[in-house]
Amino acid sequence: MKLASTLALSVVVVGVLATVPWWGSAVLVQFGINALILATLAQSWNIIGGYTGYPSFGNSVFYGLGGYGVAVGMVQFQLPFAAGLALGVFLAVLFAFLLGLPVLRLRGHYFAIATLGLAEVMTAIVSNLEIAGRNIGLILPLLKGDTLFFELSLALLVITTMTVAWISRSRFGFGLIAIRENEEAAAVMGVNTTLYKILGFALCSIFAAIAGGIHAYWITYLDPTSAFDITLNVKMIIMAVFGGPGTIFGPVLGAFVLSAISEVLATKVTSLAGIFFGLVIVAAIVFMPRGLADLVRRFRQQGWRYFQANIQAHRV
Amino acid sequence: MKQLFSLLLATTTLLFGKPLLGAPIELGASVQLTGQFANTGRYYGDAYQFAIDKINAAGGVKIGSTREKLVLKMLDNQSDVNLSVRQYVQLVSQDKVNFLLGPFASDFVLADSAIAEKYSIPMIQGGGASDQVFSRGYKYIFGTLPPASDYFQSTLDLMGQLKPAPKTIALLYADDAFDVSVADGTRKAIGKTSMKIAVDQRYSSKASDFNSMLSLIKSQDVDAILVAGHETEILNFIRQSKTLNVNPKLYAFTVGVPSADFRAALGQDANYAFGMTSWVPSPALKDDYFGNAEQFAAEYQKRFGYEPDYHAASAVADVEAFVKAIEAANSVDPAKVRDAIARVDFDSLYGRIRFNAVGQISLPQTVVQVQKGKLVPVYGPKGAMEKALYPMPAWGKR
Amino acid sequence: MQLLWQILINGVLLGGLYALMALGLVLVWGVLNIVNLAHGALIMLGAYACYYLFTGFGLDPFGALPVAMALLFCLGYLIQRCVLNLVIRAPMFNTLLITFGLEVVITFLAQMIFSADFRTVNPSYAGANFLWLGATVPLVRLLAFGVALGLTFALWLFLDHTALGRAIRATAQNLTAARLYGVNPRQLYALTFGIGAALAGAAGTLYGVVSQINPYIGSGLTGKSFAIAIIGGLDKSIYVLVGGLFLGIVEALTALYIGPTYTDVISFGILVVVLIVRPTGLLGRTA
Repeated sequence: MKLASTLALSVVVVGVLATVPWWGSAVLVQFGINALILATLAQSWNIIGGYTGYPSFGNSVFYGLGGYGVAVGMVQFQLPFAAGLALGVFLAVLFAFLLGLPVLRLRGHYFAIATLGLAEVMTAIVSNLEIAGRNIGLILPLLKGDTLFFELSLALLVITTMTVAWISRSRFGFGLIAIRENEEAAAVMGVNTTLYKILGFALCSIFAAIAGGIHAYWITYLDPTSAFDITLNVKMIIMAVFGGPGTIFGPVLGAFVLSAISEVLATKVTSLAGIFFGLVIVAAIVFMPRGLADLVRRFRQQGWRYFQANIQAHRV
Repeated sequence: MKQLFSLLLATTTLLFGKPLLGAPIELGASVQLTGQFANTGRYYGDAYQFAIDKINAAGGVKIGSTREKLVLKMLDNQSDVNLSVRQYVQLVSQDKVNFLLGPFASDFVLADSAIAEKYSIPMIQGGGASDQVFSRGYKYIFGTLPPASDYFQSTLDLMGQLKPAPKTIALLYADDAFDVSVADGTRKAIGKTSMKIAVDQRYSSKASDFNSMLSLIKSQDVDAILVAGHETEILNFIRQSKTLNVNPKLYAFTVGVPSADFRAALGQDANYAFGMTSWVPSPALKDDYFGNAEQFAAEYQKRFGYEPDYHAASAVADVEAFVKAIEAANSVDPAKVRDAIARVDFDSLYGRIRFNAVGQISLPQTVVQVQKGKLVPVYGPKGAMEKALYPMPAWGKR
Repeated sequence: MQLLWQILINGVLLGGLYALMALGLVLVWGVLNIVNLAHGALIMLGAYACYYLFTGFGLDPFGALPVAMALLFCLGYLIQRCVLNLVIRAPMFNTLLITFGLEVVITFLAQMIFSADFRTVNPSYAGANFLWLGATVPLVRLLAFGVALGLTFALWLFLDHTALGRAIRATAQNLTAARLYGVNPRQLYALTFGIGAALAGAAGTLYGVVSQINPYIGSGLTGKSFAIAIIGGLDKSIYVLVGGLFLGIVEALTALYIGPTYTDVISFGILVVVLIVRPTGLLGRTA
């Protein structure tokens, strides 16, 4: 059965990945942590963007709040890492509920702009908060040993993906998809759209926040610009879109592939690294807007005409 | 899916192959060669390479009975702090460089130095002066920029000698690590004089609009303005002070004034501005490899097409400090070299290189002023030098 | 009191510059439904165009203005024709992403071609100012304000009272019907985006005179333009003046009375509040 074989394969892959810190080079582990965190972010975006159809440009806020929860907790209050993570998650979920409520009433690109605005506001607010170190940021205690971070990030990605898998099969998930396809019809059919949207938003906040907390502790340094990095938003979206939004493994795939290429460029052909990302986005949106998953599926049927068909469908 | 994974695995294994082991001594650095700090980052990139070439041409580094060459492994961090951190990890663990040279800017140094400390590899950096860099108790980090809190000291000393004495000061500073440190130190220093702070404003590092602050300053009858910020902000500040007709008796800036393209961008408007530099290309600063600072500046200009400033000199000093330490320790063992760096004491084109207990250098700032388009040193460690043009004539009267 | 008056003047003049910046964005967004995240990058290119015309040919910035606009028009036309037209009927979100990609590409190319050095456009009158009722008024900002008014008016005239303008609006409202009337939508969209780019070029030209130019100013300007566009409202191009003035005055007051580090909090905070409470902007009709 397809489910059993997918499950088995996933377990094998995760098992192999979990052993990487022992045989991989330090750079591979570092790349792995980065890719895993990005994959988690892409996957968390998938919940609100892919399944619910609400393209959020503000997930970086949850990421940043998670990071600051850990930083403020550990530096200002001498809390252990786990407590810092809990603080970060709490802040993120609070934010998701408080601001999700008004902002989720907006549709389409207005929602996107509103969340983008929120990301900018948070950056600006935090850079004025004394407890967060204002614009200078905070230096976290040094923890030697990337293995812990690698395994944590891997575990986080697994949990996030399992959640997405659960969503795709649950009533909650069907409700989200219904909202994406036709929100009015969904409401008429009895779906509590407001509740579902907020829950979806809150779910993504949890995973994004933990990802942010892990990253902050790993890098040992946090400041508003890097915590609430706006380009991170676009990165996670493009990874999810590139891989296939609304699918279980699409975002993970997109994240790994794009991270790998980006990392190779950043370390080998540094002069092109900057432009690579932009070119990928442009090419992906033009030629494969439905993602890698869709590409793989349809390419078998249509071959090279798949790309042309995409353009034909969307051009004026 | 499976094929993709094995492909990924193969690719990454291929990339991270066996590190190069050999006699040459590798210095690693992640510098802002592109991105918004590239304007200053390039001083470091070019200077590191220049110093290494000169030292190699002179025979290299003496260890025991052999002489080894220096090799520079430099990566471009695109002015992204996170990328620079990852690059330093790569330099240490994959490329297995022997020692590390630092990036520009305190916030980069703050993050990157944590990596050097984590892996116990000595790092000498000439780009981070903020107090936080040296207040963490790290053992492997050394800095060739004087402490941020002392930056305006010489300027204040000069102001104490000017007639009519400035009485009120406006202190403006950007909200990044370095400039906040400068402001904190300056505030304390002003407190020890008879001058008063009339305006004390912190502004966002990304700010391009100073009109509100300038209007406030104008309404307060301020004698002197001190600005701790970045070149682009200071450029905007000066231009906007002209359009708003703000005429203090004196204004002084932490950066910008010493660099040639800054003065070129302002043209005539740069006149009368005070700045500071921990380095002037004077023939009095002798160097084992470059002869003296003046010769260095001329050669640098010829090779790279632009004048060097203290950033470049600081970067050269970093490389030379490593060489002196390696030769003194007679080994490339990180711990031994680290101890040797802590004990170096030599003269270079940048000045006297000697690190204090927390790893920082102490160099007095020379106050410079733009007079008729030229940079003139007006107040140095030994007191007044050339005459300062004071008070500054109003914009309409120049 | 004197200080407050000066701050208000500063705010109004800043508002004029802001309105000019957002004008092109509002046109393309309101009419074509394209959210152009590369708008700031186009402004940046306009600034560089002015710089090279000024330093290379000695052309005064106000003389360079039409030239820069023409250059940016061609670029905008090409971008729409060759890239954006290919995705314009996809979900709107896609154009958002693709314009972001374009922004990255344009910024990178700008750095490669122009280098990271910052430039200024420094005509002899750059610092000129005069006293008016006790406040110092910088000349160039006043002229920029005038240009903003002029271009907004010209745009309104164009869209409402010329055949081409009406054709553009018709195509935006109903593509199929417009086609039936013989309109060539590819051409028309490209023209509209071109005009939007030209307006960005005009803003860039003046920006270079009052501030400094480097390849990275784009994203900040895009963000600000967004706030202005939303606050004013997208229905009519004249609303952008309201948005710009509002934001300019609020920022100037914030910088003085709350603190210079709070201007972004206020600008983007207002953006979010307006979106939540009145998404069509301060002046727009409640849809």
